[in-house]
Amino acid sequence: MALPQSLRVSVTPPELELVASQQLVEIVPLIAMEKTAFISGAYGPLRPPNKAKVPLWMAVNLKLKKKCHIVAPEWLNVEFLQERVNLETTQPTFSHLPLRFAEIAKVILDVASNDLDNPDKIRSLLKDLREARQAKSRDGLKELDHSELSLPNLCSMEINEIRPYFVQAMNVLTQLVRNPVPDPLR
Amino acid sequence: MVWILPPSDTEERDSYGAMYQRILSTHRRASLVSASSVVMLVATNVDALCASRMLVTLFKHDDIGYTLIPVSGRIKFAEVIRKLRESHVDLHSLLLIDMGGNYDLPLDEYLGVLNPKVTIHVIDSARPYSLFNLFMGGENGDRFFLWDDGGVESILDLKEAWEITEYEPEPDSDKDSDGNTDEEDEEAADMENLSEDDEDAEDGSKKRRRKEESGARKRQRKGDRISDEDWEAHQDRIEKHYNTGAYYGRSVACIMYTLAVMLEREDNELLWLGILGLTYQYIASRISAKTYENERELFFDEVARLNPQPQENDNVHSFLSINPDDIGIRATTELRFTLLRHWTLYDSMFNSGYVAGKLGLWREKGKSRLSGLLAKMGLSITQAQQSYSHMDMDLKKNLVSKLEEVAPEYGLTDYTYESFMKCYGFHTQPLSAADAVEGLDTLLEVAEGIRLEVEIEGTRNGGEWFGVGRIWQPDAQEKRQVAQVEVSKNSKAIDAVGMPETQNNSESKEFDWWERNFWTAYDAIGSIQSLRRSLDLAMSVHRAIHRTGTAIIDRQDIKNMRNHRVILLTQGPDILLFSHYGMLRRLALWLVDALRDRMPVPENGQVKRRALPVIVACLNEIKASYIVIGVSASLDFGNVHKNKFAMSFIKAVSDLNLDLEFSSFDCSILELDKNDLKIFLDKVCSI
Repeated sequence: MALPQSLRVSVTPPELELVASQQLVEIVPLIAMEKTAFISGAYGPLRPPNKAKVPLWMAVNLKLKKKCHIVAPEWLNVEFLQERVNLETTQPTFSHLPLRFAEIAKVILDVASNDLDNPDKIRSLLKDLREARQAKSRDGLKELDHSELSLPNLCSMEINEIRPYFVQAMNVLTQLVRNPVPDPLR
Repeated sequence: MVWILPPSDTEERDSYGAMYQRILSTHRRASLVSASSVVMLVATNVDALCASRMLVTLFKHDDIGYTLIPVSGRIKFAEVIRKLRESHVDLHSLLLIDMGGNYDLPLDEYLGVLNPKVTIHVIDSARPYSLFNLFMGGENGDRFFLWDDGGVESILDLKEAWEITEYEPEPDSDKDSDGNTDEEDEEAADMENLSEDDEDAEDGSKKRRRKEESGARKRQRKGDRISDEDWEAHQDRIEKHYNTGAYYGRSVACIMYTLAVMLEREDNELLWLGILGLTYQYIASRISAKTYENERELFFDEVARLNPQPQENDNVHSFLSINPDDIGIRATTELRFTLLRHWTLYDSMFNSGYVAGKLGLWREKGKSRLSGLLAKMGLSITQAQQSYSHMDMDLKKNLVSKLEEVAPEYGLTDYTYESFMKCYGFHTQPLSAADAVEGLDTLLEVAEGIRLEVEIEGTRNGGEWFGVGRIWQPDAQEKRQVAQVEVSKNSKAIDAVGMPETQNNSESKEFDWWERNFWTAYDAIGSIQSLRRSLDLAMSVHRAIHRTGTAIIDRQDIKNMRNHRVILLTQGPDILLFSHYGMLRRLALWLVDALRDRMPVPENGQVKRRALPVIVACLNEIKASYIVIGVSASLDFGNVHKNKFAMSFIKAVSDLNLDLEFSSFDCSILELDKNDLKIFLDKVCSI
């Protein structure tokens, strides 16, 4: 990454987006393409109107050139997200979501919002999810101790967000545990 | 030249899509490709700008590298061709957008010199076409493709006439056409020149040289000599083709949209650009209201197809976006008041050519009529001089209905027309097509090169604007300042007022400003903020036009020279502004509208309404020259007559042996030396 050393506290969100773009998504191609070899593997052939599975970066590229339609992943719709939001707000634990849902959702909403059903509602639901989970992870960090931090079902963006903090915090706590300050009143 | 017709349902034929595929496949197959393999030469008007942007989008989708070169006139065209020959070795497709249809392109003087493997596509809205262009065949001619809107079919029968007049000598002249003949007309070679011009005048007014056809062809045909009358008849048909005057066919942006539909890549952005091209043609009086209506209906269907319909509500003027991501296009009924939604009601009515003409707004009497009209609608002057966004809500809603009741009394019968507007989510209020065209046109003309004062928003508080404002700056001031610092190092202060110190500097500045304007406008199409800012400039331009027009009429400065109305503009605060061709044309069109109903020509004692063509000449003191433009007038608002001035100007120039080059593509506007003006005008009016 081209940031200077002092700013490299963690992976940046655009990098996470890049990593997430390697996941396969389904598209409906509008042009035909033979099975082509790319660095990460061979994809294709694309035979409209049959669906095909290609990496997200390729789907985005084709979509920008109006050569495909992106099919939303099965979790990117109003019902699924609404259900998850309800779970988040009622239970103290995190609900299960795909690991890189935030990045993939962002990319697809940016590029292919017209292929989605009700993109505005999806955006607002994603926002609700983020806020609920953020509150929970803040609470969870209070239980931080020197050896273990267990926050199940946390997703990659959220992990990335708290990583600088808890890594440092755990270092400090470990030192404190190893060298306990003697009680001055003893 | 091969002409390409629009796609038809009835017959299978190659159309725009096939031409585009041709460009694609040549590009893909060529061994040496770079960004200069596909070159687009674009004329500097809004229609061409939109079309070029659409084509650029399509090229980007297909990963084709391209180069876009704006061209303002013949001189620049020649320069660019020279550069293309020398440096662009891998050029394989050349596209001329909104230019070139009336030049004899296969000639060496123009594009004949280019490498034979280059294919040239001409997409032009100006008519009539040069017949030489159309019918010249052979290897040289066949690499030209003309994207036509279907109108060419009606002149195909001129092919025979052209060939006969071209290749056969005039039956009763025994002399061979020696050397280079001179043409009086803009387009085809008229054999009658042979008998009339003996001299070989080298004046710069001649448009093209005709290389003599080989004697062999003549010898062949000698066998079946054509009779005198037939030859004359053919000659007449050719002349009629050119002499009925210049007019415009389908807009280039519409043709590009048809291409996008054929490639199944249409979307709202391309649709909007197509609409802008069409609206430009209508606003600039290139097409009549009827043609506009026909073309608009096609776009209406497209808009309905590509955009979800907003909920029906009875508020016709509820111009709001449905949601923050709404970038759709909607059909609306627009009032003919320029920039209504960005100005005050009073100002927009004051500055629209239509209203100014009908009410006679250059006089105090006219202004009082306007106030009377507003009063009858229930608006006080202060209310009407509130900016539109602060106007009362119920006023806005009822504006159209109130106008319906009151306006016919004042002669304003046709004050609405159908158009479109585009939403920009919650960024800003939706922008109507006419406003966008106004903004772009102004940017193309005066974004740089002229200093114009713009009103500072909010300082008015409902009233007349008395002129204290700020100088309009295009965006990206830092970049511009850097460039200007560099420029001023090489040459003396230009200061955007247009007063360079030396003559050659002014030449290079002249070529620079319009090119920079083109790119400013090009960027503005994509950025709604720049477009909104340009509307301020458009308002100032309108005010300047109104000021100047009013002053002209007040001074009774309109001479009547033998069925032409001639106006000389030698003084005034805005005279620098009108040394730009586009601005001068706008002034001329404003005058046509203004003079249409109000100044009947006394003829034999009885007052007859005539629609006299208008010639406006504006003095450019720096260069000691006059810029002259001629526009034809029509009797009713919304009709457009063919413009015969191109031909008469050329004829006059060649008859008088004046030494000048037509620097614009449109020959109805030219630049003359100060001293030649009088004889030129005399000559033109007597043609």
